[in-house]
Amino acid sequence: MLQIRDLTRSFGGLRAVDGVSFDVGDGQVTGLIGPNGSGKSTLLNLIAGQLHPDTGSIHFGGQDITRSSPDAINRLGLARGYQDPALFFQMSVLDNTLLPAREQLGESPWHAPWHARWRGQEQHNAARADTLLERLQLRDLFDRRASDLSGGQMKLLDIGRSLSGEPSMLLLDEPTAGVAPKLAREIFQHIATLNREAALSFLIVEHRLDILFDFVDQVIVLHMGKVLAAGKPDDIVKDVRVREVYFGL
Amino acid sequence: MNIDLGATLVALMTFFGIAALMALSLNLEYGIAGVPNFGQAVFVSIGAYTTAITYTRLLPLLAGKEVIWPCGPTLGPALQLRSEIMRSYPGAGFLNLAITLVIAALVSGLVGYFVSRIALRLQQEWFLALVLLVGGETVRIFVRSYEPVICANNGVSGVAQPFAWLGNPQLSSILFMLLVLSVAALTWVYCERLVRSPFGRLLKALRENAAVTRSLGKDVALARARVMLIGSVIAAIAGVFFVLNTGYISSNDFVVTLTLDIWVMVVLGGLGNNRGALLGALVITILDRLTAIATIQMNMSAIDLEFNYVRYILYGIILLLMLRYRPQGILPEPARTTNAHDLLTDPAPHVADS
Amino acid sequence: MPPALLITSLVHSIQVGSLYALMALGITLTMRVIRLPNFAHAEFVTTGAFTALVVSLFLSRSPVVILGLATLSGALVALSSHLLVFRPMSRRKLSTYSMLLVSFAVGLILRYVLFVLSDYYQLFDKRIQIPLQILVRESYLVLTNITFTIVPVSIACVIALALLLGRTALGREMRALASNPELAHILGMRVERIRSLTWLLTGATAGLAGALWGLYTFVNPLLGWLAILPVFAAAILGGLSSFAGTILGAYLVAFCENTLMQALNHYTGLTFSFKAAIPFVIIILVLLLRPQGLTGFVRRSGDLER
Repeated sequence: MLQIRDLTRSFGGLRAVDGVSFDVGDGQVTGLIGPNGSGKSTLLNLIAGQLHPDTGSIHFGGQDITRSSPDAINRLGLARGYQDPALFFQMSVLDNTLLPAREQLGESPWHAPWHARWRGQEQHNAARADTLLERLQLRDLFDRRASDLSGGQMKLLDIGRSLSGEPSMLLLDEPTAGVAPKLAREIFQHIATLNREAALSFLIVEHRLDILFDFVDQVIVLHMGKVLAAGKPDDIVKDVRVREVYFGL
Repeated sequence: MNIDLGATLVALMTFFGIAALMALSLNLEYGIAGVPNFGQAVFVSIGAYTTAITYTRLLPLLAGKEVIWPCGPTLGPALQLRSEIMRSYPGAGFLNLAITLVIAALVSGLVGYFVSRIALRLQQEWFLALVLLVGGETVRIFVRSYEPVICANNGVSGVAQPFAWLGNPQLSSILFMLLVLSVAALTWVYCERLVRSPFGRLLKALRENAAVTRSLGKDVALARARVMLIGSVIAAIAGVFFVLNTGYISSNDFVVTLTLDIWVMVVLGGLGNNRGALLGALVITILDRLTAIATIQMNMSAIDLEFNYVRYILYGIILLLMLRYRPQGILPEPARTTNAHDLLTDPAPHVADS
Repeated sequence: MPPALLITSLVHSIQVGSLYALMALGITLTMRVIRLPNFAHAEFVTTGAFTALVVSLFLSRSPVVILGLATLSGALVALSSHLLVFRPMSRRKLSTYSMLLVSFAVGLILRYVLFVLSDYYQLFDKRIQIPLQILVRESYLVLTNITFTIVPVSIACVIALALLLGRTALGREMRALASNPELAHILGMRVERIRSLTWLLTGATAGLAGALWGLYTFVNPLLGWLAILPVFAAAILGGLSSFAGTILGAYLVAFCENTLMQALNHYTGLTFSFKAAIPFVIIILVLLLRPQGLTGFVRRSGDLER
């Protein structure tokens, strides 16, 4: 699904991402871990097209997306969430969820004034948003401004919003940061369900390793911009180098 | 002093219609989409300059006459020709107005579209404001210095209202007022529908966080260009009516202060709310008239005070007070703006997910 | 081009350039330290010019008194608009555009108050009363004491400002505040005091520039407003950060407006009414093609980091 080869990106003299290669298979959940400053966020930004690499390549679903723009990458089915939920805070929960829906006729100003042309589609999208919000337990709040939500609800809405564009793969940046442990596990249960039912692939940056390791198929460990280790969660936990730099053992 | 109440009201409402168009345009661009158009005067002026060109070059042709060069020594005959045609060839007058509106809308829309494309290259957000401001002044200096557009500093006068052929000034100004008001009303309905559509949702998302909107798969540059196109078309139409109303085109009308006037209307009424834009336009139009009347009164009682000075001081104070104490405007933007919410509140929203 | 025209236009370039430099440094300083593109700077300049005029008419004809009081008036107007308007506004966390609008509004109010006052007291288009002495009179060039006041005073002031920023504790604090406001707070700097001093300083330079500008032409309420866009052009050429770049930019803008315009007129017949468009074209081209301006060509230790 996602192939990353020899990806390098420097800022000034600093190599934030340095020759990184790995694959994420169809329907796989991959965890991306590493100490602060190891290049995880830069890597996510490179994949999502918000930064472009100096060298190396990124392929998604067989297409070269190395130099594609963020919107084009999203339209191919690779969506991203944000660490600090970057919601549209002045808009309602429902509007947040509806925005990413694809091919909206009413998004063209030529069709927009004619309600009849897009009402059917909007109804369809609203029904889907309804199901999605129900699943994330946000259904009752659909009318609220996003700024009125709690921190955990914002996280959920951020994921829900990414989903409403019907991606085939989701990049998540610390989906449980700043969330109570119980809710954190719930968020990962949502992820697991989505993975099972909708065959969605995930690449998740996460600091809560205890939870993460229960849910992922594969873990990539980044250290100083390089892949230190990659493999199944059990193997990673045993890896001596990882224990050294990451767990400080 | 005698004030003809009827005529004052007609003049007021005509001004209001024109101001409403300008305010709706800026509200769409800045209030809804967050594009800081500090060059509104340019887009209004494109409408005005187009009018100058069509009424001096195209109108005689439409009436089957020969074109007389409108500037320099033939200024007088050209003016006479215009007024004569407007008085006796209603068909040519209306056709000319229609063509003027179309050309003005096209030119202004295209300029708006391309300006917003160019603006993507700008690094800091307020640079766009500066480029638009300065671009407007550049156009003005060009028009003022290059004779063929509006005869440079002389301007073009005698651009009569389209109903001048009726021979009854009162009736024709009432009809013109109705024309302006109905165009403004149509524009309002159009803007309201845009705001409540998925396009409006996209624009509001753009206003709040363009980078995230982009990462959700939206072509942000295209959406911005489109909203600038629409806003510029509306502003140009306002410009055409502006000239038809005063009957005179001078580059001095399209300075930065015109842009500021429009900003005052929108900030006062409520950013992001079309009703607010209309309210702002109404309040400012009335204030304008009141300060004008007050100054005339004061001049009569030998207090010498130029009304423009008072007006601008007043506008500056309004801006500061609004931004300080009520930045959301008199009528704030409603939280629930798209129709989608009704779909979930309806008793049977659960359409099967196919 | 005839040498007379060339030399006269070069002298104009130097005079106007020195004044632009003085004003543009104020713009750059407010931009970096206060983070505000301040269009009201124009009216601080105009205030200085009017103060100079009034002082010269009713109080004293000594250049020192005139320039000193003009400087003071600029500083006071700037400080009071900071205390009365800009500071309360910035606490409301308005967007950049709203703050831009606020600076427009402050400028608008000051400008038209000056209009009302000059209308009432009949001060339109008067000259500041400094006795004129002709120091150089050649067939093609006349130099008066005015030129020999404007140029050295502005250059001295620009150098003083650069030294203040580069060499003093206050300058260091201002630069720190410009590059990282959060850090400045954490380090316990008296941020409010630095901000107020910045306003005083920019206002003072604006007031002085206004008085000098008034010596150069007539005084009217549009004086600052008509100069502000060329001044922004100079500041933008300086990348809105570099002192050396801003000064160079100021002379470049003035050179284009005077000497280049003169040459264009001479060789292509372009009329002088296009002169006002030159700085605008510079602004648009620089912002689109080279937003960092002249920085990169010139860098000095006193620069305000971007």
